[in-house]
Amino acid sequence: MASGGVVLETQDLGYSFAPGRFAIRHLSLGLGRGEVLGLLGRNGAGKTTTVRLLTTLLPPTEGTAIVLGQDIRTGGRALRSRLGVVLQAESLDFVTVERNLTLYAFMWGVARETAKARAEEMIALFELESARHRKPWALSGGERRRFQVARELMHDMEILFLDEPTVGLDAVARRRILRYLRDRARGGLSIVFTTHILHEADLLCDRIAVLHLGRLLALDTAESLKQLHGGAREVSMTFGRPLSPELRLDLGRELGQRGAELLEPPEALASAANWLGFRAERAEELLPWLTQWSQARSLPLDRLSVEEATLEGAFLGMIGDTAEDGDGRTPGEPSPADRLPPGRSGEVP
Amino acid sequence: MKLPPVLRLVVRNFTSNLDVITVLIRFGQPAITIVVLGTMFTTIVSSSVTGGASYTAFLVPGMVAFQMITGGIVSGNLFWLDRRWAMTEQIFSGPFLRSEYLGGLVLTTLLFSLVGVGVMILVGVPFIGLPALSPAAVGMVLATVALGSVFFAGLLIALGSRLRSANAYFSIQSFLQLFVIFLSTVYYPVTSKTPRVLAAIFYVNPLTYAANTIRDAFANSFSGSDFVALGVLALLASMAFGAAIWGFRTLELGPIQ
Repeated sequence: MASGGVVLETQDLGYSFAPGRFAIRHLSLGLGRGEVLGLLGRNGAGKTTTVRLLTTLLPPTEGTAIVLGQDIRTGGRALRSRLGVVLQAESLDFVTVERNLTLYAFMWGVARETAKARAEEMIALFELESARHRKPWALSGGERRRFQVARELMHDMEILFLDEPTVGLDAVARRRILRYLRDRARGGLSIVFTTHILHEADLLCDRIAVLHLGRLLALDTAESLKQLHGGAREVSMTFGRPLSPELRLDLGRELGQRGAELLEPPEALASAANWLGFRAERAEELLPWLTQWSQARSLPLDRLSVEEATLEGAFLGMIGDTAEDGDGRTPGEPSPADRLPPGRSGEVP
Repeated sequence: MKLPPVLRLVVRNFTSNLDVITVLIRFGQPAITIVVLGTMFTTIVSSSVTGGASYTAFLVPGMVAFQMITGGIVSGNLFWLDRRWAMTEQIFSGPFLRSEYLGGLVLTTLLFSLVGVGVMILVGVPFIGLPALSPAAVGMVLATVALGSVFFAGLLIALGSRLRSANAYFSIQSFLQLFVIFLSTVYYPVTSKTPRVLAAIFYVNPLTYAANTIRDAFANSFSGSDFVALGVLALLASMAFGAAIWGFRTLELGPIQ
């Protein structure tokens, strides 16, 4: 978080689209000024519903949400005029890109000269020069997405909601947008960002909320999520001299007692080698013990590498990588939001 | 100076959704009808059928009444396309109220219809001269077209708020347009020879009330029935507008095709 002050706070927020059928439930989280909060989850996890609730497009059916000091149930226009929203759906007007930008600014009441200057800035920033005089249907998918983000930045706001803004963008454009958003956040803009690209959430977000089946599973920094939920990681050790079969068997047994799983079959340990690899949950916690073990046996440990924890690993560890597609619901089936235990609520920073 | 939200939306409606071709077709079609149909039918339709006037003089007020459908269709389509391209949702997420968006649509309809009224009168000038409308007649024409426009806009907006398929929306809209125009007195009067069933349908059609009232206004000869017709139009417009409000209140945002 760049600076203090809570700009968004929800408590047990929920939305039910039919009696007893919840798209999101018991959502408690907070957002600080200048903070970037990522919402991660599979299709149907409740990310878009959350964005719609927080931007007053949907009325919550339970719980509370205070955004910029106003209740989302009553904030209405006064609240919305302080927000920016990039919808998941393509939203377009049938005029050229340049006209779209200035027209949108006009709708938001931005002064003409400011709008013209900002349009130039956005066209340059989002590489839309060649698309400037084209109408939306003549744009590529990536150009449309860039245009949509650019258009929202034509007006001033205090919180920006971005619902999968980087879908269809190439790596260069994505990086450029993420860098720009990071800079804006440093300048005090708070951002709520949904994505399926976990790597970019890792790069951009100060904290990440993981939603699953309409519930908040976790809310923490990417690093903490990786540490807590990163799952088993591979550790590779190379010693300065070959280990005897006895030593390798001894090490394999000790590692097994500590919950590690060797990367080679037990029979392979019966031969001398200077390498041994294993997989373990919280592998980094084994490293001090490994160092002690090798020192106690005067074995030089030339190389010790631990597979880097990824957000994807943590995400899959949390939601399970064998889950069905989407939320696993068939149409008409009751929402699973009720079947989960209450999620780990996030502390307001 | 920052315009009120409704006016900003009206500017946006005209800027983004009304291209030159659309405007030309919307105004060109009834204008061509006056020129071609008026000229051709004047030579074959007896003036006794059209109350002593030439067929073109009969047709021009009909085409003026037609503008309320044109205006209604413009905002009905605009709303549907906004839904289709998620602009409704985008606008609702901005500094606007739903009522302002609806107000913007209605105002767009009214402006389009009233410009259409002027265009139709101008197109008719070479054939029937400039109608000598009294201020009361001008008021009657404008009130009729305005109420009729709100009626058709409300109807199509309510329809557009329910339908999620472009095919369904545009098919129903085309059918409605055809049905309303041909079962009204826009092109022909109801006479003693008109089959009773057809005549009955003609008289439940708001376009008939509008066309007859505007004809009377053009002739500067109001009667009590014109004020009744205006009252009926006001009632229908209120009902259709109510349906549009209901459509907005229960509008489900999200993708349609």
